[in-house]
Formats: sequence, structure tokens, C-alpha cells
Amino acid sequence: MRDWLERELGPRLIVAASTVTLPALAMARARQILGRSGRLEMYFGFDDPASAYAVSDLGRRLVGRNVIFDLRPVVQRGIKDDPALEPKRAYAITDGRRLGRRIGLTLSRSEAIAPQKTAFLATWAAAAPPGASLTRFCTEACRRIWFESDGEIEAAQYEPLWRECFGASPIADPEAVRLNEKKMSSRGPYETPAAWVGGRWFFAQDRSAQVADWLDELGWKVER
Amino acid sequence: MAARVDYFYSFRSPYSYLSAPRAFALADDYEIDLRFRGVIPMMMRGQSVPTAKRIHTLRDAKREADRLKMPFGHIHDPLGEGATRCLGVSEHAIDLGRQREFVLSAGQGIWSEATDPATEPGLRLICERAGLEWEGCQAALSDPAIADRVEANTQELLDIGHWGVPVFVYGGEQFWGQDRIDDLALVLSDAGLDRRL
Repeated sequence: MRDWLERELGPRLIVAASTVTLPALAMARARQILGRSGRLEMYFGFDDPASAYAVSDLGRRLVGRNVIFDLRPVVQRGIKDDPALEPKRAYAITDGRRLGRRIGLTLSRSEAIAPQKTAFLATWAAAAPPGASLTRFCTEACRRIWFESDGEIEAAQYEPLWRECFGASPIADPEAVRLNEKKMSSRGPYETPAAWVGGRWFFAQDRSAQVADWLDELGWKVER
Repeated sequence: MAARVDYFYSFRSPYSYLSAPRAFALADDYEIDLRFRGVIPMMMRGQSVPTAKRIHTLRDAKREADRLKMPFGHIHDPLGEGATRCLGVSEHAIDLGRQREFVLSAGQGIWSEATDPATEPGLRLICERAGLEWEGCQAALSDPAIADRVEANTQELLDIGHWGVPVFVYGGEQFWGQDRIDDLALVLSDAGLDRRL
């Protein structure tokens, strides 16, 4: 009996439940009636080339939709005690090269970046409200890190960009990063980049077309 | 001589199942020798998979299956004996040149028909649908040389530094995931291997 539950009933119920859309559609409709925007939470890492691709790619797909691009940088994430952590980080470079090619960009780095090396950027961005300024900063910073530079990543290189986007100096808020990490974990994703919208989460680098379809279904269609 | 592409696959991986029709079709469209390499599932190699990952994998695979118009959801998890028996028969199918038929049949059975390959009726249905004679398949299951081949495939995946499936290897370059088949096709085209041109 237990064997049947684990091998058949459990997986089938998970799959069946994943096709239920009514609560998400009702919630989205209610927000639309109240004149409120949709919201796409994007969990990403500045140290991650797939995130650099996804921030840019998903940002483009949200243009013209009444959806807030809620960019939430994280530093600590991943599967606990993952034995494949190092091979995954190395492979991310190979994969980032391919993802970059899809949007006409060439990866400028040949080695992984330790998460702590870009943590300062996460502490700045996590404290800022979502909006055009934050989207511009994150997209541009990711592009510069992964497609325009090699070597060390210094705060002094990115402060002018922050001031250009926000008109003020950055303020570091490590606690805001921790809150993003907790939120990401509570939503379900264990890796970046991940997009959470309408009660579902997606691998953001590989499912942007699905995200767009789901937004259409929720009624957050391209309007302009 | 056709260029070699190794295709590492697990019968317990829904993403492997989703990759299979397009993976085998690569050999139709490109001048390649696609070598199927069945590997022992991660959880049978002592690696744990967190619950959150297992749940998301099924949800995501369902959405991907819908997009690819592949049946998915009436599942029987083959972890253990079922996966081992499929791996054994897949090596036998390679010897007969029917690996494509067998892998597609097994995937269909496991992920959309809740067929249990650990049982004789289950595996027999999968084998016969693939055009394999049941007696030959049964003999393969007790052949130690076949088991050695599966072990060697699994070890090779670890030796190249990879952890999951499906993985394609062409010219030393790895392509992990059913999402990277198009990228592999692009590289094969760049290498002038497209038969359709």
C-alpha cells in the first residue's frame, strides 16, 4: 500500500494539483477589477550567469504588461549539502555562454564567481523598491559583470551606475537579502534564477515562454 | 565516420523521458552516431533529492510535457528494480539496434501509463511494444556483462563531472537538460552536420 502511494498516487496527485488554475485566475481577476498590477517575483544572483540572461530576457517579456518586475537578489541558495555544487558552478559558465548567444551576447568570463564577491550588489538592490530604476540597475549590472568584464568586481565600479539609476548613493542592507532568501525558500525555488508568479514558480532562464503564456492566461497581457 | 554524440539517460528522470523523442530525432536530422547511455538513477547512487525539488520537477515536467504534446501524469516511479530492469533491457536493445523503440516505449509506460517495469507483465508489455522478444530480454536481465555496461555508463557520467540527466556530450562539450537540445543542434549545424541542407 505504501509502495503504491509513493510510486503512483503521490506523483499523480502532485501532477493533477499542478493543473488547477482557478484560484490563481480568480486572484488575478480580483486584482484587475481593483485596478492593481500583477507581480512577478524574480529571485536571482549577481554571481550567476543564468540570472544575468534571465533578468534581461524576462524583463523584455514584461514590457507592455501591467506587471511589476519584483527583482529580489539573493546570495545564499541551492540544495543543502549538494555534492554537485562545484561542478554545477563550473558548468554554469559553459551554459551561460550558450544562453548569452541566444540574446546576441558573448560571455566575458571563463570562471565562476563566488557568491560573496557580488554580495555587496545584492545588499544594495535588495533594499530598493521594485520599479524602472531597480530593473535598469540590475539588468545593466548583470550585463557588465557577465558580458563586459573579467576579473575582480569592486563596489567603486558599480556606484556610478547606481547613482545614475537612483540619483543617490547606494545603501547596503544585508537583512533585506536574508529576507529575500527566506521568501524564495518559502515560495519553493532552491536555485536561481527563479520566477514566481500567480502561485507558480519557473526556472527563469528556461521557461520565459511559459511565464509569458501563464501571464496571458492570468489576464496580464501585453497592452501597449 | 559520423560524429559521436553520447546521450546519458535515466529511466527515473522525467526530463530524460521528455528529451527522448527529440534526442533520437537528432540522428535523423544530423550526421551523428547517437549513443544511448543508460545510467543508474541518482537516488540509487546514494544521492538524496530534496522534497521541494521532487515536487517541482513533477510540476515542471507536466507543463513541459503539455508544451511538447507528450502524455504525462499517470506515473509509476520505477526507482529500484524497475529502473534496473529497464537499464538491462536497454543494453540488449542496443545490441539489436532497437534502443530508440525501447526507450520511447519504456518512457511512455512509466510516465503516462503507470506501467511497473519491475513486474513481468509490465516490462514484457514495454519490450514487446518495442519489437523485442521477451525471451531475449529475460536473458539480458541475468547477464552480468549487461550489468557491467550499465555500471560503466554511470561511471563515465561521473568521470566527466556530471551529476544529472539527460546529458549530451559532443566533442567533449556537455549539454545538460532537455532544454539544451536546440543548443546542441545549433552546434551540430555549425559543424556542418545537418543532413537536411
